[in-house]
Amino acid sequence: MAKESKMNREGFLKGAIVSIVTLIGAALGLPALPYLAGPALQKSGDQEWIRLGPTSKVELGQPTLFKFKVKTQSGWIVDEQELSAYVLSNDGREFVALSNVCTHLGCRVRWIDDEKTFFCPCHNAVFDKDGKVAAGPPPRPLDKFEIKVQDNTLYIKGG
Amino acid sequence: MMARLTTWLDERTGFQQVWQAIFLRKIPKVNWFYTLGSATLFVAMNQMITGILLTLYYVPTPDHAYDSVQYITFQLPAGWYIRGLHHWGASAMVVLVVLHMLRVILYGAYKFPREVTWATGVILLLVTIGFGFTGYLLPWDQKAYWATTVGTRIAGAVPFVGDWILRILRGGNDLSAVTLARFFGVHVWVLPSVLLLLMGIHLFLVIRNGISAVPTRKD
Ligand code: HEM
Ligand code: FES
Repeated sequence: MAKESKMNREGFLKGAIVSIVTLIGAALGLPALPYLAGPALQKSGDQEWIRLGPTSKVELGQPTLFKFKVKTQSGWIVDEQELSAYVLSNDGREFVALSNVCTHLGCRVRWIDDEKTFFCPCHNAVFDKDGKVAAGPPPRPLDKFEIKVQDNTLYIKGG
Repeated sequence: MMARLTTWLDERTGFQQVWQAIFLRKIPKVNWFYTLGSATLFVAMNQMITGILLTLYYVPTPDHAYDSVQYITFQLPAGWYIRGLHHWGASAMVVLVVLHMLRVILYGAYKFPREVTWATGVILLLVTIGFGFTGYLLPWDQKAYWATTVGTRIAGAVPFVGDWILRILRGGNDLSAVTLARFFGVHVWVLPSVLLLLMGIHLFLVIRNGISAVPTRKD
């Protein structure tokens, strides 16, 4: 063994092996982390305005049901979902779009014209015309979509 | 502290003896061709790690296989890298196994007492090729589909039992969801089990028998 040099042959080889193994471990291990966490970190991309229909369809003072489709992507599967919203306007200029998903456990609420309220059949919840809870277990009012009118056409976003 | 922990563990497990048998064993003077087996082992480990990572996203059904592979390659962070390592590792492994076998042949290393090492090696070669054959179908794109159509037809050319082999491989008359599912099952469960078992025996024998020296003129 070369006495004059600080590092002998065995020490050098040990060091070389440890470095190479570390390097290979990092080359495999580091990319694996974002690969595994990727889908969890993904932001649910920018939402687009969804076209609902003409403003003329909305009866003044009465929630009107609009159906629309949204594309949802989960991993490699792209699904089309049909959703609904109630659009309400008192003057034909200001519009409010309410989600028809009950804020309790997610059943669909429906407008009961005779009672002038929304009713959820799952646990008998009642919401008033503006979506506020009138009776039953829901913790908050019906959710609102962002809404805009362009060329007499309704567009919503969010949900 | 560290030394005491090592002694404590060694007293109860004898791990240092195992470590010595594997890494501090005596070997004859050899050359770089003797590293081909270890190189194969390394690529095999690479295939296992990257393969396991791929199964976390890959789905072996005709309606999702292609899309899930596209998702891995283009949407997932580092997905192209993990898939690339597995893809190129597959080719590298076949090349390395063959080179390793050539070195064993050319040095006469298969002779007594290493015939069983050789025999397990032959099966390891077949397993490696099996990995390549079954893995090639999994992306379920045109290339995969037609390569497997042709590949299974070649197996079908065997006299007498050919048609029967072809139907077993495909799980029916044609390539189908059944074919994809069984190729996947063989690729990720059957072959890895066989590979691990045989590599265990192969390496045990390499250590037990010691490796052969470079042959000389006198041999
Ligand atoms: C998955 C594939 C394989 C792996 C991981 C593997 C691994 C190894 C390793 C690490 C060694 C130690 C010495 C050296 O590297 O040369 C070895 C030796 C050996 N291998 Fe393989 N091997 C594989 C395939 C094969 C094949 C296909 C054959 C031949 C058909 C074979 C026949 C042998 C023989 C006879 C020895 C003993 C050589 C000697 O003592 O000098 N192996 N193998
Ligand atoms: S889900 Fe609507 S009341 Fe329970």
